Amino acid sequence: MISRRLGEREGVLALATLAAIALFGMLSPVFLTSGNAVTVLRNASELLLVGLGMTLLLGVGGIDVSVGAVLGLAAIAVGRLLQEGAPPLVAMLAGVVAGGATGLLTAAVVVVGRVPAIVATLGLYGVFRAAIYLALGGSWLTGLPNGLTTLMSATALGVPVSVVLIAGAYLGIAVLVRLTPFGPHLLATGFAPARARLAGVPVRRTQFAAFALSGLLCGVAAVLYVATYRNVAMTIGGTLALEAIAAVVLGGTSILGGRISLVGTVLGVLLLRILQNGLLLVGVPSLWQPVVTGALLILVLGIEAASGRLPVTFARKAPA
Amino acid sequence: MRASPILVILGVLWLVVVAGLAALAPTALSLATVTSVLQFATILALVALGQSVVVLCGGAGIDLSVGGTVSLTATLVALAVTGGLPAILVPPACLATGLALGLVNGLLVAQLRLLPLIATLSTFYVYSGTAVALTGGGALGGVPETLLPWGRGTLWAMPLPFLTLALPAFVAVAALLHVTSWGRWVYALGGSERSARLTGIPVDRVRLIAYGFSGAAAGAAALVSLAWLGSARPNIGQNLELTSLTAAMLGGIAIVGGRGGVMGVLAAVLLLVTLQTGLLRLNVNAVWQIGIVGALLVLVLLVDNAKLIRSRTS
Repeated sequence: MISRRLGEREGVLALATLAAIALFGMLSPVFLTSGNAVTVLRNASELLLVGLGMTLLLGVGGIDVSVGAVLGLAAIAVGRLLQEGAPPLVAMLAGVVAGGATGLLTAAVVVVGRVPAIVATLGLYGVFRAAIYLALGGSWLTGLPNGLTTLMSATALGVPVSVVLIAGAYLGIAVLVRLTPFGPHLLATGFAPARARLAGVPVRRTQFAAFALSGLLCGVAAVLYVATYRNVAMTIGGTLALEAIAAVVLGGTSILGGRISLVGTVLGVLLLRILQNGLLLVGVPSLWQPVVTGALLILVLGIEAASGRLPVTFARKAPA
Repeated sequence: MRASPILVILGVLWLVVVAGLAALAPTALSLATVTSVLQFATILALVALGQSVVVLCGGAGIDLSVGGTVSLTATLVALAVTGGLPAILVPPACLATGLALGLVNGLLVAQLRLLPLIATLSTFYVYSGTAVALTGGGALGGVPETLLPWGRGTLWAMPLPFLTLALPAFVAVAALLHVTSWGRWVYALGGSERSARLTGIPVDRVRLIAYGFSGAAAGAAALVSLAWLGSARPNIGQNLELTSLTAAMLGGIAIVGGRGGVMGVLAAVLLLVTLQTGLLRLNVNAVWQIGIVGALLVLVLLVDNAKLIRSRTS
């Protein structure tokens, strides 16, 4: 199920990414500068971490539309601790723990409470948003101490800590999916939960783990967010859920569960951020970004559906 | 009469909310409060009505784009008015725009067979994003003066849009669902899509119409917002997907479809808006509202499941 057909998908994506780079390179003199490349990669880092979690969620047949708010809550935990003068390492851990704890809450509602993931996470989105407003008390967290930023841009053997963190997260998930029973369990659960249960797959535990891991990754993303921007705005993570879902689906992971591609997610995230950056540079106002992202998602799914790549019926099962 | 226990429960809850308000802020109990509750309820009621029909059809049906549809319809029609659209054509233009946006969802779901939550999540961002991008985020003026007497008028303390649009819409849909074959098809689809198909029910057409109706209902809500506020706000539909879904679930519509009636949804809308207005009167920070609505949504479904599990084990 992590199949050779995905190799084809990843090839197409890589070509599309190169084509986008070439196109924007011709249209904008700024696009192909190293400064802009760094900007694109930096903007891609939070989305990549959240996208990896979303890959697991879609793979297991779930979804989470509250990831932006989860990142926001974890970012507030990091920011507040930095403000209080806590060491950067402590703030970092707190962010990851906050993300993980939120993930556990979501997992409890969806898996133990058996509420459909889309409805549960929409409801929790409201709860988390209110919590963000209340925690921020109507203002932004700004001008945070730069201890965390210094830590993240410190280099080990010439590689920044932030890059090590992202690579570590990716490798951790990849090992989990490819070398442990979690991978096959995830795909079997997403593909056909009832049959997986009959085959002895710990369906509920697998779903629970996917939601918890996604929360954890949102926490790591929050650490990078605070280190990069050194502020937390009320509207933090506004369109993150859509962007993560779009990037993951673009990468070839099935929204119906049972088929994932981690490499595809990386390429999907890069392509999405390159498109957004390129459009901005050729003069499309950033307000249009959610429109472009949403339309791109519909386009990809529409093409897949029309070419018969998607399992034909959505009524096969309700999403977990 | 499947809906009656729900109506009793919601009625009791409503009395509790009103009693709580009476105890904590006696001055808030006035005819003016009734008017303002119904004023706020009109937009939510129309949107929740469309949402309910979509969910009733089953097949993991959900319309996350409702808020975006309201915002974009209001924006597009206001732009058309500035471009010379006569006042008399504003109501049909709102309905037609909403219908068209809803039919896009319907085509994506019923023809391309995209998962409803993904299709409508995408169109939500496309619609709401377009509304914001077209206006730059600010409100658009220029709504015809002739609409305002209807949008702001009252009869026996009841706002005209509620009396002449929302209430008749609920009665009409309730009648359609219970009397016509189309209504029985909706319930059949939600009950078992396979059986419905085998029986020869035009499943895809019923579903397309359901999404189209949800869009048209959101268009009607956009009309109410224009006539009430006198301007088009690109964020008028904010959080409506969450609130309308909460109203539908609270009103007894089963999330898997096939069960529930729309009159319960109307009662749930009134309960929700009364609660929100009450909290506002008690000076509870408005940001609590979205949190409370979200928590209610999760709670209703948890309670529903607990009941289901208990009835299975006993």
